[in-house]
Amino acid sequence: MRPWSCSRLIRPSWLARFCGLLLLSGAAVPAWAVPSFARQTGLACAACHTVFPELTPFGRVFKASGYTLDNLQQVQAVSSRRQEMLELAKTPALSIMAQVSYTTLKTRVPDTTNPAAPGLTQNGTAGFPQQLSLFYAGKIAPHFGAFAQLTYANDSGTIGIDNTDLRFADVAVLPHKQTLIYGISLNNNPTVQDLWNSTPAFGFPYAGSNANVSPLAGTEIDGALAQDVAGLSAYAFWNDSLYLEAGLYRSAKQGQTNVLTGQAGPLDGSASNVIEGGAPYWRAAYEYDWGANSLEVGLYGANFKLLPGSALGTATPLQGPDNRFNDVAEDFQYQYIGEDQIVSVEGTRIHEKMNLAASYAAGAVGNVTDDLTTDRIWATYYYRRQIGGTLGWFSTTGSSDAGLYPAPAADGPGVVTSANGSPDTRGLVGEVNYLPWLNVKLSLQYTHYTKFNGADTNYDGLGRNASDNDTMYLLLWFAY
Amino acid sequence: MSSIDRRTTRLIPLLAATAALALLAAAPGARAQQQPITVQARNTAIGVCGTCHGPDGNSRNPMFPRLAGQHAGYLVRQLKSFKDQTRGDPYAVAYMWGMAGGLSDPMIDALAQYYARQKTGPGRSHDPATIARGKDIFEHGIPAQGVPACAACHGPDALGSDMYPRLAGQHAEYIMKQLASFQSNMRDIAVMHGVALNLQQPEMQAVADYLESLP
Repeated sequence: MRPWSCSRLIRPSWLARFCGLLLLSGAAVPAWAVPSFARQTGLACAACHTVFPELTPFGRVFKASGYTLDNLQQVQAVSSRRQEMLELAKTPALSIMAQVSYTTLKTRVPDTTNPAAPGLTQNGTAGFPQQLSLFYAGKIAPHFGAFAQLTYANDSGTIGIDNTDLRFADVAVLPHKQTLIYGISLNNNPTVQDLWNSTPAFGFPYAGSNANVSPLAGTEIDGALAQDVAGLSAYAFWNDSLYLEAGLYRSAKQGQTNVLTGQAGPLDGSASNVIEGGAPYWRAAYEYDWGANSLEVGLYGANFKLLPGSALGTATPLQGPDNRFNDVAEDFQYQYIGEDQIVSVEGTRIHEKMNLAASYAAGAVGNVTDDLTTDRIWATYYYRRQIGGTLGWFSTTGSSDAGLYPAPAADGPGVVTSANGSPDTRGLVGEVNYLPWLNVKLSLQYTHYTKFNGADTNYDGLGRNASDNDTMYLLLWFAY
Repeated sequence: MSSIDRRTTRLIPLLAATAALALLAAAPGARAQQQPITVQARNTAIGVCGTCHGPDGNSRNPMFPRLAGQHAGYLVRQLKSFKDQTRGDPYAVAYMWGMAGGLSDPMIDALAQYYARQKTGPGRSHDPATIARGKDIFEHGIPAQGVPACAACHGPDALGSDMYPRLAGQHAEYIMKQLASFQSNMRDIAVMHGVALNLQQPEMQAVADYLESLP
């Protein structure tokens, strides 16, 4: 359901093909809780998670502290001046995670492989696996830990880097028994380092189909740059309540080579949507805990200046006009974590203002400035961490732009087009979950669209309705 | 490159320098070991244990027991029973086996001393009728059901001793969970198993509410 921002900068003629490919075959799905943390700390999942991947207050402190709390036997080295030179766990913090899924669409999509023989695609896609991941998640050295994920995904058929967060952190005890956790995060996805599950990287839906049809519009901070950037940020978490963070992101392309030298860099015009300079990221949040309840409210945002490069169809040197995206978001999270019952309610609203000078100059978009707002809110209930479910509402609205959200080409297939050039999409997503063990989850998820790419009926200009994209997703998800 | 771009680009080395400095500052790993054990214990209690139990042991979340003012001898025995995995109630298994697994004996002693020194908070008010019933059970037991007076071991004001824990001011929810664990023998203490077996649910709740109401 999460709208992938599949390059609103691409020329319309490319958009259907590129987006169709990306959206129908899916994009990287976020990452999760990992049993290697449990092995390292000796703590059961419930210490850090309500049900994975949602964090408890203790889980937030564990993450902020750099994933370094441990109770394992260590291999150690000490200098003659009694300085610790090495502290290495005898058991590596490794985990494996798998997702096996089955997806059906309410209405099949056209099969465009042979224009001479038009037909429909097969409905009912098995992902076996949809995703298989290897994690190093835990302490590397004192004050230094990692959550690093390597993922095989069935859409690409390859193994690639997934969400990664390297942290250095320490905790200072202040006067009046107050605490200050401070640290640095080096990560590859804006908000993957965040402590609350209301922000995009670890927000709901925690898992989704990669064999569905996704809407055209999405903001940049909402996963568009995941695993495509390297960010360094500094943060402070005071008294487990006030959190402040600031950092910069820079493009870190995977599988990209310089055309002249054949090396991984410098990046040239063959790369697409390259960050110009450093993109600032910022975050402020406040959490108040009482009894078994906690409430967080916060703000986060980023400002991306992207040089289109090859995104406009042909390789273009990384200079000249750029496209600018200023994202500002609000979020909140409420949790009640009881012995038998767990309730959480989370939500976020992301506003994005775009100045698309580069795309406009190339005739790829209809307006120089556009805007987009994404809202999501969801509520989760679990009984004894075994049976539960989530119901969520999502909406994306914004200015119409026939270049960003194009109508179908004369002989085009539709589906990933918009008849009226509007990005507006909204709907509901619900799922029920059963966990026979805390590290094994069975999910049945249904996504219903009341509006898709600008309309509820005939949204694509070729007769497809929003609800035709309704998706049923069955998932077996486990980690060990 | 615009002036704004140059500004943001200049921030990169600044941020990298901050990161490098922070790493350098932390590099001498022996730092923590050179501190006296009492300081280490205080920092651990506030920085690690405090996330659940509160920095001064007065936890706000009823899932986690209040440790402020608890007797050091009792705390040492509990921490050791977590460490050697002999205390088997659900939260002990899920949380404390791991948390206490790496604690040395001197650290256990120092942590226990830290909590024993902390000031307890005020009690929490409950229905007066329930408190009266709980007080009666606590002070006199229920002879007809074979329930002895709790006060016989835990003291007239539930302040306990090194042998028997202080119960005054403890979260009612935590006491209820412990009584259930004694009942099922997941927390295996023969005396308390017998007591809990003979208590009905409303009687347990009355005692728990009474104890939580005490300062």
